[in-house]
Amino acid sequence: MIELKDAITALVDNDVEFVLIGGVAITLHSSAYVTEDLDLCYSRTNINLVKLCAALGRFKPRARGIPDELPFIFDESTLRNGTNFTFSTTIGDIDLLAEVAGVGDYTVAREKSVDFTIYDRVVKVLSLDALIAAKQAANRPKDQLVLPELLALREALDPNSE
Amino acid sequence: MRTPEEKLLNPRPGSKIAEARDFGIDLTLIVGKLRKTPQQRIDDLQSAMRFHVELDKAREARLLKK
Repeated sequence: MIELKDAITALVDNDVEFVLIGGVAITLHSSAYVTEDLDLCYSRTNINLVKLCAALGRFKPRARGIPDELPFIFDESTLRNGTNFTFSTTIGDIDLLAEVAGVGDYTVAREKSVDFTIYDRVVKVLSLDALIAAKQAANRPKDQLVLPELLALREALDPNSE
Repeated sequence: MRTPEEKLLNPRPGSKIAEARDFGIDLTLIVGKLRKTPQQRIDDLQSAMRFHVELDKAREARLLKK
């Protein structure tokens, strides 16, 4: 489970450039889907990596799945040496993606995002159209399960669908 | 023109909404979410996550008792 308020407010308050993607984004668009983690598409600029570390460092991120006895350092250098990360933290699992399949990198994701206000903060969230494109591109069994609901939502919200 | 809620509660045959219903999606849940604010939706999600954690704890405790 992820503590959403802690994670999202830390990111916004540290001025991190990110777009919410994945299950939390789907929820904000009115899906009844339940996720357990937080997925972000993030900017790879040096300054943003510094801000990401400032925002999330206090939650002691570690690469998921590595043994507890192995050392792991969460810093800008670690982020610079990879692109996609799956972290366990003291507040839950957080996945950082530099690029979203079917959508593109942070710049494109930001263009294809909409603003939602949660926890008294404005947060960029991948649009319903882009989430559908991402799910169609990923096409894993879990994506196939959520796609019919997203397509139904899009049709319901489209004033020109009937 | 029908509202999103009307479309979801009475899907047009052959529509994506009808496909979702036939797939097994409970469209009334979507209607319920559409009536809520983004903050209420995210609060609901957090509550559901907490409920899952509690369920897992109860299941583990039960297994330990056996």
